[in-house]
Amino acid sequence: MYDDFANPWNIRLKWVYLLGVVFALLMPVFYTIYISFNQHGFGARIYEFTFDWYRVVLGDTLLVVSLKWTLYLALAAIVATIPMALLSAKFYKRTRRKVAFVALMLSPLFVPADIMGSSLLVFFKNLANGFVWLDEVLGVYWFDGWFDLGFLTALIGQVIYVHPYAFIVILITMSRYRVQQTEAARACGATAWQAFWQVEFPQIRVGVFSSCAFVTILSFNEAVRTALLKGGFDTFSNMLVAQMLNIGMSGESYAMAGIMSIVSMLVIGSVIVFTLLRAERLERRARAMAQPLMAS
Amino acid sequence: MTDPSDIAVEVADLSKNYGPVQALKSVSFSIESGRYYALLGPSGGGKTTLLRLIGGFLRPSAGRVYLHGQDVSHLPPDRRPTSMVFQNYALFPHMNVERNVSYGLKLLKAPAGEIRDKVERMLAMVGLEGYNRRMPHELSGGQQQRVQLARSLVLERDVLLLDEPLASLDAKLRKDMCLELKRIQEKVGITFIHVTHNQEEALTVADRIAIIADGELVEEGSARDIYETPEKRFTAEFIGDNNVLPGVVANLSDGRVTVDLGFASVDVASHGVAAATGDDVAVSVRSELLRIVDGEPDAAWQIMPATYVEAIYLGLTVSHLVRLPDGTEIVARVISGEANDGAFEAGKEIAVGWPGDRARLHVA
Amino acid sequence: MFYVPVVFFVLFFAAPMALTVVWSVFERTQFWMEPGFTLFAYDNFFTSARAENYLFSMVHGAAAVAISFAIGFPIAVFIRRRVTRVAQHRVILLFILPFMISELVRVFAMRPVLGRHGIINSLLIDLGIISEPITAILFSPLGVIIGDVMSFLPFMIFAGFLALEAVQNYIFEVCDDLGTGRVRLFTHIILPLAAPGIFAGAVFIFVNSLGVALVPTLLGGPGAVNAGLIANQAIVALDFPLAMAISTIMVVTLVALLYIGHRLFDLTRILEPIS
Repeated sequence: MYDDFANPWNIRLKWVYLLGVVFALLMPVFYTIYISFNQHGFGARIYEFTFDWYRVVLGDTLLVVSLKWTLYLALAAIVATIPMALLSAKFYKRTRRKVAFVALMLSPLFVPADIMGSSLLVFFKNLANGFVWLDEVLGVYWFDGWFDLGFLTALIGQVIYVHPYAFIVILITMSRYRVQQTEAARACGATAWQAFWQVEFPQIRVGVFSSCAFVTILSFNEAVRTALLKGGFDTFSNMLVAQMLNIGMSGESYAMAGIMSIVSMLVIGSVIVFTLLRAERLERRARAMAQPLMAS
Repeated sequence: MTDPSDIAVEVADLSKNYGPVQALKSVSFSIESGRYYALLGPSGGGKTTLLRLIGGFLRPSAGRVYLHGQDVSHLPPDRRPTSMVFQNYALFPHMNVERNVSYGLKLLKAPAGEIRDKVERMLAMVGLEGYNRRMPHELSGGQQQRVQLARSLVLERDVLLLDEPLASLDAKLRKDMCLELKRIQEKVGITFIHVTHNQEEALTVADRIAIIADGELVEEGSARDIYETPEKRFTAEFIGDNNVLPGVVANLSDGRVTVDLGFASVDVASHGVAAATGDDVAVSVRSELLRIVDGEPDAAWQIMPATYVEAIYLGLTVSHLVRLPDGTEIVARVISGEANDGAFEAGKEIAVGWPGDRARLHVA
Repeated sequence: MFYVPVVFFVLFFAAPMALTVVWSVFERTQFWMEPGFTLFAYDNFFTSARAENYLFSMVHGAAAVAISFAIGFPIAVFIRRRVTRVAQHRVILLFILPFMISELVRVFAMRPVLGRHGIINSLLIDLGIISEPITAILFSPLGVIIGDVMSFLPFMIFAGFLALEAVQNYIFEVCDDLGTGRVRLFTHIILPLAAPGIFAGAVFIFVNSLGVALVPTLLGGPGAVNAGLIANQAIVALDFPLAMAISTIMVVTLVALLYIGHRLFDLTRILEPIS
């Protein structure tokens, strides 16, 4: 909204403030990346540009393995979360108890990582014990190892954590979609699935892709829940936490932090570029619509 | 009774509840094949619910829907011989006109050549030749509705449902589209069921009209009957510009009823309406039939004393507002420029009335 | 099919959260716990330094909320009122970027910024403003608060903006037309209309200040803890009932806050844009 009477300098000053806050939020991260390229690490008087620290990180088998686990976890989280978020958004549209449903879906946002991680840890341990007990009672080995800590439990913790974000993003995209189009497709003879896939999905694709990006980033970044719920593997951020706590701030940990932030920035950057391009297109479309077309 | 095979749509005791809210209360009627049928009523009265039940977009709480004698109550929309035109936003925005219109045919896996021919023919029928490559957002509101119409008609289904198809168009365009809808319906000859809250629209397009209000079917009949001889008081209040006067039956004789309005007695034909002395009834007179009488009235007229209030010029007509002795204000409408379109001075004591049998009696 | 998410969340989120109450009164065993009823864990919590630490972390959380509001909410108002519709979401995107970079990295990155030889101290010393490095800003309560603000500030901007986005433009225009002053516009119009959003943002920042163990671990001094860290330490010490008791206290705090907020501001209003 423009205000023709506002003092332009006043507004410019506010822009400076806004960009200043963005800068302050990002500066530490960029500073970390900057340090990670210094041969002499943090606090040195001289700055010598080098990729050495990154070479060390990528040359460390353990770290590369942890990167691989991180990737698996992110992929599995996408595969599990996105369809579920679509189902949730659909459920939201049709349920009459919207508030209760949204409260359930969004409350994981408000439960801090360590608290949720601890609760799930105890939950899974009890569940596993319960299944062992069930085996004993039944005299079989069917449930042996169910919900022992491992990839699956880490994944469940991850899905609970990232699902709210994916759900919101998809729901917001879906809220711009008009149900009449699904009904029109049904009236044309499409089955429910055809109507979704051919008519609705193309229009919410952006939201789905954005939430895939979010899920990737969040999975990549998550350090706490996985640390508590994982079995015999480490993710990249688990390794970074261990580094920071045990070795302190080494050049290697700067490089690891650098890798994490660069990956996030690349993913989010591409989402933003993609969204902006789409916004441009929508704007052109809106302008075309605004042109008075007389009915004939 | 017509041959049942000529009945395109029949609904029997159809009800729909949303939780405790009864949107539709046990409605039954049938529509002959090839009719242009309008469901007319105030917003929230249940007419759209009824249409959506016929189309299969809602599952009935009770009752049945038969299409050509076949029970389709349990079938989803894509398995019913109906297609639907929506109020707006129903075109697929990511597909151009041609892909929108051909969507249903492609689902049927029709041969490409046949699809092309049919789409071309249909676009010509709705007056959109050459618009194949346009995207929905490049079309005006009226054009979008034509595309929707083409998309539905190209499937050659037996029944076309139209849910307020013209409601988001401006008044002038709506009038043109009404005539065109009627022309197209006559051409394709299938059954059209058209939901609207606009009586002018309904009267223009429809052969028959059903009045739906409060989840009930109030009255059903030909467009002319509904307008000229409404049976129910609700219909009289809803359709046309009727003056409805409450009263009590004072006397009955030989098909005629004398109604005591409190300040005057009027004599109306019963038209088969069963009323007993002492019943609360209502008398309706359309405003264009009501006349202001200045001077000595004709003995054959039904006359009520009144006070002149004001004249409102509406272009084609002039509405004269008069106040009856009990305080209600009623309207007498005349064509502008006719003999007695001149106004009287406010507060002048006059009389209003109508000749012969122009009024209708309503018991409910 | 459509019930899959509900079932999943009830099973793996609501149930574990609800059961923490049950497990918190179980008897502790050497490596695990066994069914029983004892309030030992709660006793342990309230009669040790832990309760005090919990209160301190609440104070830190409240400070983080207040600072985030002071810095972030004006930005939300500015974006809503002075930026064109199309550009609004782009400006909001600016704040997504920091929010999406790993919290771990962002918290960690505060060390070389705030530390004794960090960029802030170096800069201030080079400029001759101070002669000795400021040490109060890292490995201290202040460091924890700064870390919390840096971590969660964007959420205040999102939530505030989302709430204001639902406010129709004409409301601002009517106020301009009636000559509503700046202060009144803010206190009588903007604040009440954005209250649910502000509250949601505030609760988010508050509970995360209480519950995210990373911040005190990396930025707090030797004794710095919050609820998350206490729970974490209890898990490491294999004192599961204690960890569950802390979770319970945390969840009760959260539910109480949300309930109060809902009674005061009707939080369902936040959902209007998506319903």
